[in-house]
Amino acid sequence: MKITIISGGLREPSSTRLLADRLAAAVTRELEAQGEPVELSFVELRPLAHPIMDAMLTGFTGEALDTAFETIAGADGVIAVTPAFNASFSGLFKSFFDVLPEETLSDMPVLIAASGGTERHSLVLEHALRPMFSYLHAIVSPRPVYAATSDFGTQDGAGLGARINAAAADFSRLLRACGPRTRETQEDADLATMRGLLGGS
Amino acid sequence: MASTEATGAAGMQFGIFTVGDVTPDPATGHTPTEAERIRATVAIARKAEEVGLDVFATGEHHNPPFVPSSPTTLLAYLAAQTERIILSTSTTLITTNDPVKIAEDFSVLQHLSGGRTDVMLGRGNIGPVYPWFGQDIRQAIPLTVENYGLLRRLWREETVDWEGKFRSALQGFTLAPRPLDDIPPFVWHASIRTPEIAELAAYFGDGFFANHIFWPASHTRELVSLYRRRFAHYGHGTPEQAVVGLGGQVFMRPNSQDAVNEFRPYFDNAPVYGHGPSLEEFTRQTPLTVGSPAEVIEKTLGFREYVGDYQRQLFLIDHAGLPVKTVLEQLDLLGEEVVPVLRREFAKDRPAGTPAGPTHASLLRAREDATDEGDAEAR
Repeated sequence: MKITIISGGLREPSSTRLLADRLAAAVTRELEAQGEPVELSFVELRPLAHPIMDAMLTGFTGEALDTAFETIAGADGVIAVTPAFNASFSGLFKSFFDVLPEETLSDMPVLIAASGGTERHSLVLEHALRPMFSYLHAIVSPRPVYAATSDFGTQDGAGLGARINAAAADFSRLLRACGPRTRETQEDADLATMRGLLGGS
Repeated sequence: MASTEATGAAGMQFGIFTVGDVTPDPATGHTPTEAERIRATVAIARKAEEVGLDVFATGEHHNPPFVPSSPTTLLAYLAAQTERIILSTSTTLITTNDPVKIAEDFSVLQHLSGGRTDVMLGRGNIGPVYPWFGQDIRQAIPLTVENYGLLRRLWREETVDWEGKFRSALQGFTLAPRPLDDIPPFVWHASIRTPEIAELAAYFGDGFFANHIFWPASHTRELVSLYRRRFAHYGHGTPEQAVVGLGGQVFMRPNSQDAVNEFRPYFDNAPVYGHGPSLEEFTRQTPLTVGSPAEVIEKTLGFREYVGDYQRQLFLIDHAGLPVKTVLEQLDLLGEEVVPVLRREFAKDRPAGTPAGPTHASLLRAREDATDEGDAEAR
């Protein structure tokens, strides 16, 4: 099972990346326990920040972004994690999905998560991330994870570890149910439409 | 016609294409008036002929800051001011212009210019233009197919009965004037990144023009390769016989670093890609060349490596607020130092059977040859 983790953290080290790593580890444990081998790949958005903005301004992408897009398109599932900024995802996180080729996430199982200063912002998962991924035709796992500073402060004591494990269990079931993903290229679909219009073959 | 004839049977065509933007000159802050921009375009086109180029093509836009909203008006004026250069478009909007009007305008232009006319069809660069002409951008592709299907028939059939979805039906309609010598203007279909357009060009056996400016070479390679494959699939000949045109963008000074220094403010503030990647990144990623004539020659000759031997090369040289004096200097460099070398080098190792750039005369010859063959079969 190929899983790509997209992490929108801005700093090094990043609490967003930390959350992403823990989710990836939990999902790997869960799948491997069921005899499913896991291959993880990471797409960090910070080093892609300039290419993302260039892509917005020019309409085309360079090598670094193409590699990231290809990694995601080839995955069977995605874990997407953003910091919560101003009651939403970060602008960088949104911009990345704005330049990601259409339909890349179609039928893709996605586990969403966010990190932030206070748990009072946890509904960004439901108000910002879930609608965007639904719009992109992803299959969003029912249980997302929000990690606040207080969660990291308590050394995994109370809730976060349990929430991560529960989310990982849900997502693993979703991944297994969906199975390996088949890729369809948009170009083939567009050309099929054109050939239909021309009456060609 | 003489100049393109002079390039010989293996001839590639070289020219320029303009967007027709009115952009403040970032070096001086001067914004030309619309009148100045239109006069500059005329001067640029005349100079293109004077320095020995084969093609001048104008864009079509219906909103500020662009001036060429009526391309055949401009081209007819140029036809009267020039002798040899082919007058074309880049592009004519097949989506929002009535195909009957396109057929009429280019038919008249053919007669006025003595056959120095072809047309490049495209879909336009912004959505709002569609409703200005009573159309809907969501129908862009079906509109393209229907309108072009009608345009072809108007140029080829004496009496047309036609019914479609996007305009009123035609009953017994005859285009007047008929195309010159009953040879329709050669048609190029242009695309920046849309594979459907390559498919359309291939289906009809028309030319395919890849914008080749705003996007990396890898996109152009894929589009042209698709077009060549499908051209053969639809039975128009071998993939190598397909008719390919490319855009390109250059800025030259005898000394490479002078070109970079002078062009940088124009690049940094250019309407389409300004404020994005650096000049150095963009020249690495796209066909843009900023440097000496020798560097332009080297990069341009490299295009053949990823699209195969092709028929027409058009350069964009007059956008982003460049003053007309500078543009005319660019034309001098193109005509004196670049294009003669490109003609010579592209002709080397060009396989026999590679089509030449299409002209009215070559289309006429092709029809005569076909008729002769038909007669031979009949006998």
